[in-house]
Amino acid sequence: MRWATLGRGRLTFLLLALPAILYVVAWRIAPALYTIWLSFNQYNMVYDAQPQWNHLDNYLRLLQDSGLLEALKLSVVFALATTAVELVVGLVAAAFFDSDPPARNLLLGVFLLPMIMAPVVVGTAWSALFDQTVGPIPYLLEVLHGPHIPWLATPFSAMFGLVAADAWEWSPLMTLLLFSAMQVIPREQYEAAKVDGATAGQLFLRITLPQVIGMVAVAAGLRFMDAFLELDKVFVMTGGGPGTSTQFVSYFVYKQAFQSYELGYASTVITGLLVLLAIAYTLYLRNYGRKLTSVVA
Amino acid sequence: MIGGRQRRRWGHWLGIALILLWTLPPFLYLVLLSVKPERLMVERSVLLFWPTIERYREIVVSDLGAPIWNSLLTSTVGAALTLVLAVLAAVTFSFLDFRGKAALFLLILLPRMFPPVTTLIPIQLMLKELGLIDTKTALIVLFTGFQIPLAIWVLRAFLEEIPRELAESAAIDGASLPTIVSRILLPLAVPGLLAAFILAFIFNWNEFLFPLIVTSFNAKTGSVAIMSFAGGYKKLQWGSLAVLGVVMTIPVILFVMAFRAALIRGFTAGALKG
Repeated sequence: MRWATLGRGRLTFLLLALPAILYVVAWRIAPALYTIWLSFNQYNMVYDAQPQWNHLDNYLRLLQDSGLLEALKLSVVFALATTAVELVVGLVAAAFFDSDPPARNLLLGVFLLPMIMAPVVVGTAWSALFDQTVGPIPYLLEVLHGPHIPWLATPFSAMFGLVAADAWEWSPLMTLLLFSAMQVIPREQYEAAKVDGATAGQLFLRITLPQVIGMVAVAAGLRFMDAFLELDKVFVMTGGGPGTSTQFVSYFVYKQAFQSYELGYASTVITGLLVLLAIAYTLYLRNYGRKLTSVVA
Repeated sequence: MIGGRQRRRWGHWLGIALILLWTLPPFLYLVLLSVKPERLMVERSVLLFWPTIERYREIVVSDLGAPIWNSLLTSTVGAALTLVLAVLAAVTFSFLDFRGKAALFLLILLPRMFPPVTTLIPIQLMLKELGLIDTKTALIVLFTGFQIPLAIWVLRAFLEEIPRELAESAAIDGASLPTIVSRILLPLAVPGLLAAFILAFIFNWNEFLFPLIVTSFNAKTGSVAIMSFAGGYKKLQWGSLAVLGVVMTIPVILFVMAFRAALIRGFTAGALKG
């Protein structure tokens, strides 16, 4: 008995799947293709009534845009910094959860909270912590006679604040992925090494780390690509400022599209990003695709 | 031996303390601000005071809470519609073999590979054309579409675990397809349905960029309301901001506590969308 022999039922099934497919095509795929088409057009919503084909003009502009280059650099710095911090926190926390502490699952649930909260709320909470009038961090520095730091108001401290907020929000994800990789390491390996007198540090470096290193690469890659496109917290915490010092690439696109109304050029930047991401994904899947599916399955 | 175990337990307590110290303070401080009386707002040394619930009352009785209700309505309806569409497709993808299935499945998962900004501009133009800017309908339409790929992905993982023999033997006994789906498959996939619904709801609830560009006043969501209080690094109304933040987090906490296992599983799958 095979489903293939069901005949008329088969058609019913296909019809059942159709609405979802059409919906995805209409609201996700078609708009993406339209964005690519628009990237070859001059279209400023204020000045142009219709999109006007202008060949590769937008792309030439893209290559000479120093503002964009600056935004890309900032995004890379942010993504690198935040991925590094999250990796360290994630490894430590995952090793801790892997050691079977009491009430582990409850604790894991609490620990996951930041990444499930709305990103704008994460941004709000961290803005509050850094705020000069109501925030505890400037206050503690004041009480302890530490330096006065205008948090979120200088280029460096604004970047620092965003990295801190992002590390708080996303270290749990890193932890979860690394923890799931640690859970499959056979316990006998630890027992055997302990009998031979290995210390906790040796256990971690010689047994745990080599076996989760693949997952470290997968998780770091995921977080890097995600952080590279960070937007929500920038909106709430710094608004891209001071000046343009935290204007990451997504914020740059937003400003082009919805403040300068340069829809054509913004589409070009998006398409450029898409190409970058496609390259990253290809390299990434070639190296870690198998690992990735084994995690998901 | 006993010494070693003692040390281990001590380490566990230290670890638990560190985990809580890492996770809780930012959120608890927001809770603290939300109930701090206005005149004490800048007195940072004051941590003990008679809490005011005035702002929470305002959320319920005044317009201040409208964005929260918008979020609740659009996220729920959006997630429900997502589930209906996704379950139909997921059943097909897990129980039927046909030519081009892999390609079709890839087509559905493809949007998970590219970032949401890709669709931002056309969607705004499209909704403008349809006259749906600043309506709840627009949000529901968008939310329904956004989470379909994720929901299908999660549902399929659950459906694959149902033994095919169950459905096949029912078919031999002459049960029709709708009967098989509604009587056998769906009841067994309830945990999956729940996980997909919760994930879709939470992603909708947290969504920020699309509500920001397609709503302005009438259909403004919770995240957008927070943004309008908190643009840039100079903020004034900390009390209202904190209340909105806490209220936006309540459903998230409830869901996490109630469905931790399903959520952890779904998130490990969902997180991989990049």
